Amino acid sequence: MSSLVQRGLLLLALVGVLAAAVACEDGGGEPTPHAPPMGSAAEVSYPLTIVDTVGREVTIGAQPQRIASLSPAATEILFAIGAGDQVIAVDMFSNYPEEATTRQQLDAYEPNLEAIAGIGPDLVLLFYDPGELADSLERLGITTAVLGSVEETPESVEAVFDQIGLLGFMTDHLQEAGDLVAEMQDRVDAVEEALAGVEQGPRIFHEVDATLYTAAPDSFVGGLYKILKAQNIAAGADQPFPQLSQEVIIERDPEVIILADGAYGESPDTVKARPGWGNISAVRSDRIFVIDPDMVSRPGPRCVDALEALAEYLYPERLE
Amino acid sequence: MKPFDSAQRRLFGSAARAEPLPEAALGALLGRALWPRLALGLGVLLGAALLAAAIGPVGIPADAVARILLSRLPGVSLADSLPQSWQDIVWEVRLPRVVIAGLVGATLALCGATYQAVFRNPLADPYLIGVAAGAGLGATAVIVSPLDYTVGGVSLVPLAAFGGGLTAVALAYSLARVGRVVPTVTLILAGVAISSIATSATAFLMINHSQRVHTTLTWLLGGFNLSEWSKLWWVLPYVLPAAAVILLYGRILNVLQLDEDQAQQLGVNVERVKLLLLGAASLATAAAVSVSGIIGFVGLIIPHAVRLLWGPDYRQLLPMSMVLGAAFLILADLLARTVNSPSEVPVGIITAFCGAPFFLYLLRLRQRAVF
Repeated sequence: MSSLVQRGLLLLALVGVLAAAVACEDGGGEPTPHAPPMGSAAEVSYPLTIVDTVGREVTIGAQPQRIASLSPAATEILFAIGAGDQVIAVDMFSNYPEEATTRQQLDAYEPNLEAIAGIGPDLVLLFYDPGELADSLERLGITTAVLGSVEETPESVEAVFDQIGLLGFMTDHLQEAGDLVAEMQDRVDAVEEALAGVEQGPRIFHEVDATLYTAAPDSFVGGLYKILKAQNIAAGADQPFPQLSQEVIIERDPEVIILADGAYGESPDTVKARPGWGNISAVRSDRIFVIDPDMVSRPGPRCVDALEALAEYLYPERLE
Repeated sequence: MKPFDSAQRRLFGSAARAEPLPEAALGALLGRALWPRLALGLGVLLGAALLAAAIGPVGIPADAVARILLSRLPGVSLADSLPQSWQDIVWEVRLPRVVIAGLVGATLALCGATYQAVFRNPLADPYLIGVAAGAGLGATAVIVSPLDYTVGGVSLVPLAAFGGGLTAVALAYSLARVGRVVPTVTLILAGVAISSIATSATAFLMINHSQRVHTTLTWLLGGFNLSEWSKLWWVLPYVLPAAAVILLYGRILNVLQLDEDQAQQLGVNVERVKLLLLGAASLATAAAVSVSGIIGFVGLIIPHAVRLLWGPDYRQLLPMSMVLGAAFLILADLLARTVNSPSEVPVGIITAFCGAPFFLYLLRLRQRAVF
């Protein structure tokens, strides 16, 4: 399939998703009068209405020019689809791309209503609502959308594509969003192609911090390992980010250990020095790798970078 | 000065120099009765330790565990046919965990009893005058700092916790000091105030570094998941001498249960005893907290449980608290690593959740007992 056709199809699919999102905004009934014309692809006309991830109906009157992004993932997406110029403020964890750090900073976890309102945004993006923040902002006349709460991080790369499409639609960068998704999809396809024929990948342990928190299959990070057909040793845990018992890690004998806590001082050497870890396969075969925690856990454009890096760690013989 | 009644006299043991002979004899009898209950307690402790060594989230047969442990004796090799991972798990992970949980449990219970005695306050626990809050602040500051918190393979978190705990207590003590005297009520109030400053600073740091909130919270709630033999050397140098000093002062603590003036008149240097015992207990608690995080409830409840079971004589209350505290925390940690397997549950949650009902049961059982 040629890349151009693929892109076209993706764009159509994207619009379909958005149309569905708009259609179900009033409980799955008929499309509302606010619904934008969906017939022709890549056409955005304001006012438009979307349904955010917590089911709130959000109407955007005109192309947003003063966006406050209180979500690191949304920030990365906005800059990646060319909407960076429309962003005037970000939260303090929005550290990528470099340009984002030049914007005014807000706090996403302990948000201050006054501080947010004070910068005069015309669209506020949250990934987490600590308690009726969205409603409070709406009461002040500030359009606000919640795009994935802490509990409902997009669990798959497809969900990231949806978010990219949605943000492209809201900011009138549907074309760039489509291109970005197509490029990401190509790269995911390439990884999957390289893994063709793999039934069961290596056993992995993904270390979130030195107290042995890890990412279970039911998390965004876990979803990346699912694409890679890895056997996550945290399978069976009932939370997305469980703290594993040390003896369980030794017993389940990971073949590859991925450290997302390199910034906290952990390294292949510190792992090798842990008592009782000496006979773990990953330690014996020296397959301990460090990965950027933001890249791997943030449901944004760079998750494909993380996917490719992990693929190389897990399948060095298949990827150069 | 209040007249002595016989119950009070009994508590003095032979430390009360004004004591007439028959009472001293009774005290000696009480003292002698320690050995059977100590033997019982040690039996329970040994049972708890063996159980905790045999059970874990990884199912290793009890006979394999026994063979692995016995193989550590010189000249014995029974474990050669067992998987290396089992040997690592039992010897490098599970056993240090059991030993350290026991040591921390014994320390917290002993120090809790000491605090209760010195403050003559049943609500006292080893965290009363700031050790826990100070340690929590120290640990949190390191965890949220942008710097590596492991330097050369050594974590700075326990060091910061230890320093933070001792600093808080020293501050409370010096703030409460009036001339050469440190009134206990003032000390408690100063400790509570210092604690709340440290706690709010900790909360502020956590909220401002929400990406590390999990790590911080896990530490604050306490646990033994990362126990290893080397951590014993963090604790033992402080706990052993502190425990020795405190155990030697059982009789003096009995005397101190009168008011301080009476104890003074009976020849006890109250201020020196307070400084010595609070210092020893705080040092030991800070060392324990630095390796385990803040495990609540043990230091408050175990001494009371011992009191309900065997009475308030500190000569037996102190050692029995150590033994039962160790057994209790070993069993709580066993639950912490098995109830939610393969995930861990912070042990502080278990100690409160399981310990409180048991304590209430004891309380109902001995309703007529008065503290």
